[in-house]
Amino acid sequence: MPEPMIRLNRLTQSFDGMTAVDALSMDIAQGAIFGFLGHNGAGKTTTIQMLTTLARPASGTATVAGHDICNAPLEVRRRIGYVPENVRLYDTLTAAENLMFFARLSGVTAPQRRVNEVLELLDCTYLADKRVGGFSKGMRQRIGLAQAILHRPAVLFLDEPTSGLDPMGIKMLRDLVLRLNTEFGMTIFMNTHLISEIAKTCTSIAVLSHGKLVFHDRIEAVTARYGDDAALEELYLSLTPVGRLAEVA
Amino acid sequence: MSDAALNPVRLNPTPVRTIAAKDIRDALRDRFILIVTAFLGIAALVALVTGAIALRSDVATYEAAKASLLALGKSADAIKAPEFYPLRLLRGAIEQIEIIGAAIAILIGYRSAASERGRQTLALMLTRPMRQWQFVAGKALAGIGLLAGGLALVLGGLTLLLHLLSGIGLGMDDLLRIAVVWGVAVAYTACFFLVSFILSLHMKQPSHALLLAFAIWLTLVLIAPQIGDTLDPDNQVAGGVFKQLNIAKPDQIQIMKGFATFETVRGGIEQASVTKQFERFTFAVLGIKATYAGMPLGPILIEMLGNLIWIFLTALGLGALALALPLNPDRLAKA
Repeated sequence: MPEPMIRLNRLTQSFDGMTAVDALSMDIAQGAIFGFLGHNGAGKTTTIQMLTTLARPASGTATVAGHDICNAPLEVRRRIGYVPENVRLYDTLTAAENLMFFARLSGVTAPQRRVNEVLELLDCTYLADKRVGGFSKGMRQRIGLAQAILHRPAVLFLDEPTSGLDPMGIKMLRDLVLRLNTEFGMTIFMNTHLISEIAKTCTSIAVLSHGKLVFHDRIEAVTARYGDDAALEELYLSLTPVGRLAEVA
Repeated sequence: MSDAALNPVRLNPTPVRTIAAKDIRDALRDRFILIVTAFLGIAALVALVTGAIALRSDVATYEAAKASLLALGKSADAIKAPEFYPLRLLRGAIEQIEIIGAAIAILIGYRSAASERGRQTLALMLTRPMRQWQFVAGKALAGIGLLAGGLALVLGGLTLLLHLLSGIGLGMDDLLRIAVVWGVAVAYTACFFLVSFILSLHMKQPSHALLLAFAIWLTLVLIAPQIGDTLDPDNQVAGGVFKQLNIAKPDQIQIMKGFATFETVRGGIEQASVTKQFERFTFAVLGIKATYAGMPLGPILIEMLGNLIWIFLTALGLGALALALPLNPDRLAKA
């Protein structure tokens, strides 16, 4: 049995006495596209912040690519890419300058070559010398994704990657995620609200409600048990407070 | 298998330099920095021209008085020619650096931290293989570098103008004094940059941080020195109260002994302000304060060492605080 790419062991975080993430334990396999579902304030972003070493957990542990997030944060950072929600980058710099900056920070040995490769991979070469300030949301999202894969990380964390994108943008992003997963073997950890995207992209899903893990399984098992997209939505709603309120009403 | 796993990316040894270079490039393309630097330059230039006009007026008055005396067949020895120390003309520029320079430093500090938070690029940087202190050091280096560049442009321009307009030119000693003032001005404005940067990075709302930074600026730059000045018996009457009453120096000392506590409080308020320390130091080095006019630089530096230490310790202390304070992850989340 291969080691999981991400392992959470009773990972907990609290703010001002409120538990944001409550003893979260799960494994995410190498090469998985993992969809992390949950209502607003469920603790998804807090979980990503801990796994990307931005925040230290209050208790519990986690490993990413075999490295402990608390004891070896630099090792974790070398192996991850992160795209926050609504990333804007530096408006006054061109796309290529933005990417060069992040490539250098990541310690990429031939940054210019890698920037060109990534721009080509994402079909963004025409944006290279344009200032990011004039970009549409979709273009920004693509350059945001580009900065995260410059060093070809083992794990890519995406926080609500489709937020604010039009259907074309969503499809473009989905295709890119699938390509990064199949061509480069990247494990993808994706926070999302879009259940339709989960069904089309993910290999496993988990549902978080008020910081607690209420569901975690492989997508094949879910669809075999609950059927199509609509049934997946039913499942999600039945596990979240909004869904339960609807049932009561 | 990922690239990172096959060929582990080396730990970048130069994130400080990379961040600083990016920040400077970003800032130079932003018109805001250029506009505020130009504003400081114009304010300093106006102060220099005003000083030159005042000096010209003094000289004209002296020349007229001298001509009148000579026309009456009397000696002109009775009137004293106005002393001309070109560096004294920088007084207005120093006052502009004290006030406007510090305000610009606050704006640069705010921009440096708040922009990274608003764009969520702070989170992007801190998920790279570098330490948090390297991020802070890179940002601080860029901010202080921008201030140093802006001050060099302003002081350099004024020096050139002074050299051309003074008619007598500036010697190496003058240039050295201006260089010393530039270095101390960088440390002085760095204090305000760091206050604003730390607050904007760590407070929940960066806009509240900016307000607080300006409240600190108001206290240190305008209120505290003014309290100290206003309460100084020497400033109560033009020329000094003791001088007006013709009280001899030993008697002055005796009288002031009765106001020891008052003087300690007054001095404490005044000296708590880094602005006052900067003013005392620069006024002494440039000979603006009459006591130091014509005095060699070495003894002035020795005498003003306390002020110098205060300014640099404040800047270094704030720098150490910026490096040591851990970032709250709440500040990395969506704005």
